[in-house]
Amino acid sequence: MNLVQQLINGIVLGHGYALIAVGWTVLLGVARLVNFGHGQIYMLAAFVTWWAVAGLGLPYPVAILAAMLAGVLIGLLMQAAMLRLTFAQDLVSIMIVTLGFGHMMRGIAGLVFGGHPQVLETPLSYIDFEIAGAWVTAQDLAVVLVGIAAFALLHFGLERGTLGRTARMVAEDPKLAQLAGIDVKRVYFAVFAFEGAAVALAAAMVAPRTPILTSIGFEEVIVTFVVVVLGGIGSVAGSYAAGLGLGIFTALFGGFVSPAYATTAAFGVLIVVLVLRPSGLAMRAGGR
Amino acid sequence: MSTPILEARELRVTYGGHVALDIPHLALAPGELVGVVGANGAGKSTLVNALLGWSRGAPAVSGSVRLAGEEIGALPPHARVARGLALVPEGGAVFMRLSVAENLAAATPPAGAAGRAHDEAQIEALFPRLRERRHHMASALSGGERQMLAIARALRLGPSALLLDEPSIGLAPRLVTDVLRAVRGLVDQHLSVLLVEQNVRAAIAVVDRLILLERGRILAQGPVAAMRDDPRILEAYLGEAAA
Repeated sequence: MNLVQQLINGIVLGHGYALIAVGWTVLLGVARLVNFGHGQIYMLAAFVTWWAVAGLGLPYPVAILAAMLAGVLIGLLMQAAMLRLTFAQDLVSIMIVTLGFGHMMRGIAGLVFGGHPQVLETPLSYIDFEIAGAWVTAQDLAVVLVGIAAFALLHFGLERGTLGRTARMVAEDPKLAQLAGIDVKRVYFAVFAFEGAAVALAAAMVAPRTPILTSIGFEEVIVTFVVVVLGGIGSVAGSYAAGLGLGIFTALFGGFVSPAYATTAAFGVLIVVLVLRPSGLAMRAGGR
Repeated sequence: MSTPILEARELRVTYGGHVALDIPHLALAPGELVGVVGANGAGKSTLVNALLGWSRGAPAVSGSVRLAGEEIGALPPHARVARGLALVPEGGAVFMRLSVAENLAAATPPAGAAGRAHDEAQIEALFPRLRERRHHMASALSGGERQMLAIARALRLGPSALLLDEPSIGLAPRLVTDVLRAVRGLVDQHLSVLLVEQNVRAAIAVVDRLILLERGRILAQGPVAAMRDDPRILEAYLGEAAA
């Protein structure tokens, strides 16, 4: 096995992981909410991208936007249904409701898109480069670049300016934020819309690397969980580092030990880290 | 009497069927400082919270609340803030993970309130301590400083009426005088304030009018000169001394 190839695979995989997790990072960090329908939004968005490209013949960038729009709509719909639970910060009910939404989305996807695996081909998949004896496609590069751009925007957006301050106020004390004149309901809707858009963007970027089935999404939720927890809940920089680290670990473990046990090993690492550093790997909640 | 700046009618708060507050009528005149006193559990905090439609719990609130003649009783808290009603809740609630400067910047005056809003220089003149602590995290402030910051943040919103819930709680006697004197100064500059205060003695020294609450109802109210010697107020004094 070529070490450089595995490292490159790991970097691409890691950016994909980070991108998949970014919505949850904000969701948990800003609003103290969870969404266990996250994986199914990923799955639906992958189908929407595929359908826009293969069915409607739209250009890939337009298909990405269509998927993100679908993600936003699903996010808003979910939040509208859960608003009371959100205000009460009833996490157990929110967990169950979002799981239910996930199952409904899987059923709807089966009805609309059928049970056959689909392959999303983008113009970028056919372009490849050689770097130090290793191969990388333009799609892989795009995943890395979009991942970096998304995290950089979010990091600066949340660290500076009114938006970030509002987010931190709602995260710390939503009730008190109301007294500062903040429409907390709007913030919650915005956060869920962002979560939907972000996971849809991730799906549109990452899904061309694997077949699209209505059953995908579960692994993405697990990966998201690992990334968000390892990164220190709510930390933007931490999630990026954790996603990248997990991707490289998975690629190297898969390449040099056994791909079949890569996820098992990743969970082993998660447990060890959480025993040693219960607040995650991030030194501080940098993104908050 | 001119139109009250803040007026409530048939204001009722219930928690699961239990009536916590029942106020047929309450009014605050422009430029008036009214003290709300009463024993623990009399409904003082429930009253100011209900006027803003705000609560940490989930009570059922009904009734009419008018601000400068305009009905705001059906609006969510942030919208009432935008109309010019501000609340400083009990315990000097500030954002602990934001700096003093960020806490102040967090409260942007709504459109139309810019003229009333205190700017940074006015805030610093009122509470010089906050200027020195500008770049400290709110979590590093003392109780008194947090209280000042919470009041300052409310003033940044440019309220026409301010609801203050127990600003003296947990403060050293000297600071109590400082904070209440600052409040009096604001009222003298035409802010209208409803001040919940358990420290009856300190309240009497600054307010124009007193409202005595008991079990969620108004037991007595009137100008401070007339109420000062009311036996029921004296009882509240005694309650305070016993506490």
